[in-house]
Amino acid sequence: MTDFNALRDQLKPQCEAIIAQYEQPRSALLPLVHLFQAHEGYASADALRAVSEMLDLSLAVVESTVSFYTLFYRKPVGKYMLQVCRGLACTLNGAEDIMAYFREQLGIGHLETTGDGLFSYEEVECLAACDRATCMQVNLNFAYDLTPKMIDDMLTAMRAGKYEITPLPQTEHPPRTWTLRQDLQVSHGDKSAGAQDQSAPNNPGGLDRDGIIMLDRILSDEARFKGRTKERLANVEPAMAEAIEE
Amino acid sequence: MPVVKVLTEGIGEANLRDIKVYRDRGGYKQLKRAFTEMKPADVQAICDKSGLRGRGGAGFPTGKKWAFLPAGVAPRYLVCNCDEAEPGTFKDRMLLEETPHQIIEGILLGAYAIESHHAFIYIRGEFKRGYEVFMDALAQARKAGFVGKNLFGSGFDLELTVHRGAGAYICGEETALLNSLEGKRGEPRLRPPFPAVQGLYSKPTIVNNVETLAYLIPILERGPEWFAAVGTERSKGYKIISISGHVQKPGNYEVALGTPVRKLIELAGGLRPGRKLMAIQPGGGSSACIFEEHLDMPYDYESLQKAGTMLGSGAIVVMDDTTDFVRAAFNLVRFFAHESCGQCTPCREGGHWLERVLHRFLENRGLKSDIEMLARVSHEITGINLCPLGDSIEPFLASVLKRFPEQFEARVARETVRA
Amino acid sequence: MIDQQLVTVTIDGTPVRVPKGTWLVEAAKQIKREIPVYCYHRKMGPAGLCRICLVEIEGMPKLQIACNTAVTDGMVVHTQSDKAADGRRAVLELYLVNHPLDCPICDKGGECDLQDYAMAYGQGYSRSVDPKVSKPKAVDLGPTIVLDEERCVVCQRCVRFDDMIVGERELVLKDRGVRNIIATANGEPYRHNFTGNVTELCPVGALTSKTYRFKSRPWDLRRTTTTCTQCPVGCQMHVDVRVGVVQRTMSLEDDDAISDGWLCDRGRYNVGFYDDPARVTQPMYKRDGGWVQIGWDDALDIWAAAIREACAVNPASVGVVGGGRLTNEEAFLLQHLFRAKGVANLDWRAGSQRQASPGRNGGTLVDLESCDAIVLIGESPAERAPVMDLRVRKAALQKGAKVIRIASAERPYPAPIPSTDVATVAEAIKKLPKDPKRIAIVWDGCDADFATSLLEKLPAGAQVLTYITGEQANARGAEAMGMLPFSEPGYGKAESGLDAAQMFAAARDGKLAVLSIFGANPAMYRADFARASFTAVSDLFMTETAQLADLVLPAKGPFEKTGTTTNMAGDVLPVNAAHSLETPADALSDLEMVVALAEKLGVELPVAEEVDAAVLRHLAKAPEDFTLGDARFGTSVILSPSKDPERRRKAHVEGIAFNVVVQTRVFGGGGTSAHDARIAELCPLPEAAFSPEDAAELGVNTGDYIDLVLDSVSDVVQAHHDNVGHDLLVEVRNGMPRGTIALIGGLPDSPASNLAGARVSVTNIRRAPEDAAEAIGAPA
Ligand SMILES: Cc1cc2nc3c(=O)[nH]c(=O)nc-3n(C[C@H](O)[C@H](O)[C@H](O)COP(=O)(O)O)c2cc1C
Ligand code: SF4
Ligand code: FES
Repeated sequence: MTDFNALRDQLKPQCEAIIAQYEQPRSALLPLVHLFQAHEGYASADALRAVSEMLDLSLAVVESTVSFYTLFYRKPVGKYMLQVCRGLACTLNGAEDIMAYFREQLGIGHLETTGDGLFSYEEVECLAACDRATCMQVNLNFAYDLTPKMIDDMLTAMRAGKYEITPLPQTEHPPRTWTLRQDLQVSHGDKSAGAQDQSAPNNPGGLDRDGIIMLDRILSDEARFKGRTKERLANVEPAMAEAIEE
Repeated sequence: MPVVKVLTEGIGEANLRDIKVYRDRGGYKQLKRAFTEMKPADVQAICDKSGLRGRGGAGFPTGKKWAFLPAGVAPRYLVCNCDEAEPGTFKDRMLLEETPHQIIEGILLGAYAIESHHAFIYIRGEFKRGYEVFMDALAQARKAGFVGKNLFGSGFDLELTVHRGAGAYICGEETALLNSLEGKRGEPRLRPPFPAVQGLYSKPTIVNNVETLAYLIPILERGPEWFAAVGTERSKGYKIISISGHVQKPGNYEVALGTPVRKLIELAGGLRPGRKLMAIQPGGGSSACIFEEHLDMPYDYESLQKAGTMLGSGAIVVMDDTTDFVRAAFNLVRFFAHESCGQCTPCREGGHWLERVLHRFLENRGLKSDIEMLARVSHEITGINLCPLGDSIEPFLASVLKRFPEQFEARVARETVRA
Repeated sequence: MIDQQLVTVTIDGTPVRVPKGTWLVEAAKQIKREIPVYCYHRKMGPAGLCRICLVEIEGMPKLQIACNTAVTDGMVVHTQSDKAADGRRAVLELYLVNHPLDCPICDKGGECDLQDYAMAYGQGYSRSVDPKVSKPKAVDLGPTIVLDEERCVVCQRCVRFDDMIVGERELVLKDRGVRNIIATANGEPYRHNFTGNVTELCPVGALTSKTYRFKSRPWDLRRTTTTCTQCPVGCQMHVDVRVGVVQRTMSLEDDDAISDGWLCDRGRYNVGFYDDPARVTQPMYKRDGGWVQIGWDDALDIWAAAIREACAVNPASVGVVGGGRLTNEEAFLLQHLFRAKGVANLDWRAGSQRQASPGRNGGTLVDLESCDAIVLIGESPAERAPVMDLRVRKAALQKGAKVIRIASAERPYPAPIPSTDVATVAEAIKKLPKDPKRIAIVWDGCDADFATSLLEKLPAGAQVLTYITGEQANARGAEAMGMLPFSEPGYGKAESGLDAAQMFAAARDGKLAVLSIFGANPAMYRADFARASFTAVSDLFMTETAQLADLVLPAKGPFEKTGTTTNMAGDVLPVNAAHSLETPADALSDLEMVVALAEKLGVELPVAEEVDAAVLRHLAKAPEDFTLGDARFGTSVILSPSKDPERRRKAHVEGIAFNVVVQTRVFGGGGTSAHDARIAELCPLPEAAFSPEDAAELGVNTGDYIDLVLDSVSDVVQAHHDNVGHDLLVEVRNGMPRGTIALIGGLPDSPASNLAGARVSVTNIRRAPEDAAEAIGAPA
């Protein structure tokens, strides 16, 4: 908390300059959240409260607005946010194979973070680089014409801390996912607290609890992921796999 | 050769991000000329005469749009729409990353023309590099005295504010963009009132695409007649086309409107050897497909409209005979369902419903009756939404359903499974 | 926007003439054509989200939404054509794709717009075979409301209500697309004075009241329309009764003149006290220090005998307090009876409010909307007349009126409502907009100096409208009916008697023989309250005052009797007994008591028709001859601290002395909210608010607990209350003046009401446990 206060005070002049750019302070909402996210790695509850105070808005309004935008992460994310394009042009050029390869290499699915906190993985809409399909962004920096080899090299470099793109700041160890939906499910008694940060068992398989389609299964070779979560986890996190076994 | 270089001039050859290079090539001359030699109304008249139409999707004549501004109401705003997220479109990003000064100059010209003293550019959140390049260019332009107070001694103040989006396709829609710019959820607004009357902060506002504004520079330089001389009767001038999909040389190509579609595909290197053309999506994710028989059709607003589709943002996605059209349909429907703001029921519920049905087809669990239902439901949700996003779901789906019904039939469950 | 020019539009073949610019949905209502809507609401205008209001307009290729289409001359509209019907059918099918269809267990069943429209316009089956989106059901939104996310149709009426009407913006839409949900800020409850309205706005069963969940089916309810008498606004409301118990109350959507279609949470939810086991069900008589139950015959005999004897000796030793809680008829007969016996000591002012009739400049509630500036003096109308406060917010939020508040010790207006807090009248005058045409003054009726000096200094040329919020619902009616020591019914001059404060003083000095109190609880508000030699109290509960009495008479509550009441703007409103509501067999209305007492005392009362005529005559007569803060009402009754050094207590270790101000809260005050178990969560906890500077000096934070000790007080406070405040929850509040501590008045078991004007110091500070503080910040 005190850490955050220090950050807030440090950023205060910058925040004021941003607010001054607009005729109405509320316009600064997105830029301010961007700013805090750039420093904390995600849009923390503290940050949203601070923004609501600076702009004289109710916290609910700030949370509502932030929840609309997919680039604001409500929980800490991995140091490398891997966002692979699933747009039409990329799909026509083999994005599905690339996504399947990513999931296999990382052992996680869409909207998930690896247990070591290094990678977060998301499949995103058209990134406006269709001429260089298939493409992706790493911490919002483009990578084009992806091949399994490139992915191997990229992940190796990242794991070794030698990748050219600076990792995102990480103030806390990230949980399994960064959407708030899971939180709500817990607070609403829909999911037990212990399951909050676990990947939904059916995440890589079609519909999640909300009935929202999780893309992994559709776009991947079905047979390969028949074993689903447990098998994938066994690769990376034996302990967690055991826990699920029980 | 149908390919021309107007806005794309110099890209890939020189570092146009550097204001010096840009100015050496004639940059900011038109801006100075406008501010020192012309009245705002003159710029407006030239734009109107050129027949320039919006390059963001709707293709509305720019001069006519400006004329909707109520006279004498201040402040008024110009917002440049750089939220490019239409599937298949990547022209604005190229302009942003390669020639940002051209955008700045275009915005300033547009703002001068409509007598706005505060202009904004809304840049898609994913365009991190584009944002950085633009911020750098803006600092250079500011230093050179092109942005700020009393420009070129004309007494005209003009501020330009850069606003970054945060991941929402719908924020490309102009009223959603304004809400996002006001720090709200990117939900489109009810019209009327139209933004030209009540836009940003309830003040008269014009939203124009990056490319639209950039074209103001050559139009001013070479005269409206030059621009109006190319193209067709009602689709005048040049346009940057983004071609992708199953072609050998995907990329942005600047062409005169009215160029036959076949030529465009040839420009992009044609299909891969041995492949057969199956379908072309001619105007972004919201457009219906055209097919082989349309190849000789001129690529302009009217012809495409007559063929039951649209030019949109000028994004052409070519699909050859390896394409799984069920998957393609699912892909686009899922896109619109994912990007729906969720305000209107038809778009929110309908899009998601269609997505789930198509998902079943992907798993070979379709029902025979679903095929007809897909067509009916997608048609029923069209034309009754608050903004055009909800109406964007039908065109592609309907056109492939009609053209390739066998691909859908092949995915009907062999035995009817009880749900 | 709406032009007065009339245009003709043809709807389904019927021509309608309406002002140009009228929305099509409203035009259709005029010829009783239903155009279904979910998101549109008359008070909030079109939103254009639900798309159910589709109609066909000739000359337009696409179906149009009727909610956002302004009629034009010659427009031809079809609401029932095949095309329109098909569009509606399609939209309705979409609504049901993800709807849980749990009508059999849904409270809204029977009055649900989704159900009704699906029956009327739907196709009767669904083509969807896929699993529905599951969302959390029974989400606890706060003390009043439960949300079922699956039933929600995302019409956003509730969200827009919180934004446009209330301005608190606590309820919002979260997420995007099909995941859209209604929510509050993470972990924060939905809590303000108007939450209940969203349950009525909700067209489906998504938002339901905790007090009404699973209680009844709408067709099993007996409905009565009446006036809410919890505060002086007088909102019109429906009371719905089943099995003899009030199940719920609902607003009247077309009550534009009084409530504007809304109810506050007190009026809506504080209706569970009628069947509270603590109700007085029989006359009670105190004998040898203990209570005995007696019959009405005996009770009336004892009471009448006491009055008769005292009057025979000296009518000036008899007093009556009450009337603000009674109907006009009851107040009229009450003063008639006692004046007939020669009694002049009549007053309704049991608390600190001095005046209720605003005099010659009184405005209507609707007038507030057209003011350029609204000056609020004293206590916040949000806590004293909540639904009137919604008009103030409407004026500020929707019409751009400037709100200026004098007295900054209170909770400021929520952020989106622009208000300026000032400390003095001079500052307020300075903040007025230039050349105002119309200024409203809303006064809490307590400190007359503020009101008079403000009136004097207002710019000439501006029309001034005055309003008085108050402690008692029918205070204005009581004044008009002559329940004042100096005026007769109709504000005529009367032989002068003692006012309430003087009566209590007389009682304390042993000079008052008989005191009768009707529906008032002075012991709660005034430290100097003392019983007379014989005191009779008519009430529903054993209030603080009743406990000190000799005779307690079981009274009927407002839903149990019939008559009229007068609101703060002078509107005469009907009070109707709710059908089939069960009342304790031995409870009588105050009217019945007065009639019975008159019989025993041998006073002839006017017959019913005469009473009705008198009430109307006296109320119709505007109180022309006095103004806000008129001297005849006397000055403030706030006690001043004793100067007697011997009475001073040593300031405590912390050593800083504070002046006490006592504030009203909607859910404080009165026996009814204390006796309604269903709304216990809504009642505030006893708390003490400090300015941030004082809090820092004391070293306390929000969430800590403190006790108070008296520093210096009047004798009376000392005599009655040795210990002053225990376990008060600290609130650090911006805008509080230094050296002041704000307590909440009218809470049971908290003597705060008696402390107005006292000086106290803080003792025994207990910190909020650390983990508890964390729990508030971060959900586990
Ligand atoms: C769903 C939707 C998305 C849109 N996305 C964009 C976009 O990414 N970029 C853009 O310039 N216009 C987009 N538009 C079009 C804008 O609403 C608007 O018409 C355009 O910015 C106007 O500029 P123009 O007149 O220069 O074309 C979109 C429209 C809709 C309905
Ligand atoms: S059509 Fe879709 S995206 Fe457009 S306003 Fe409606 S819900 Fe939002
Ligand atoms: S009432 Fe017209 S769209 Fe909802």
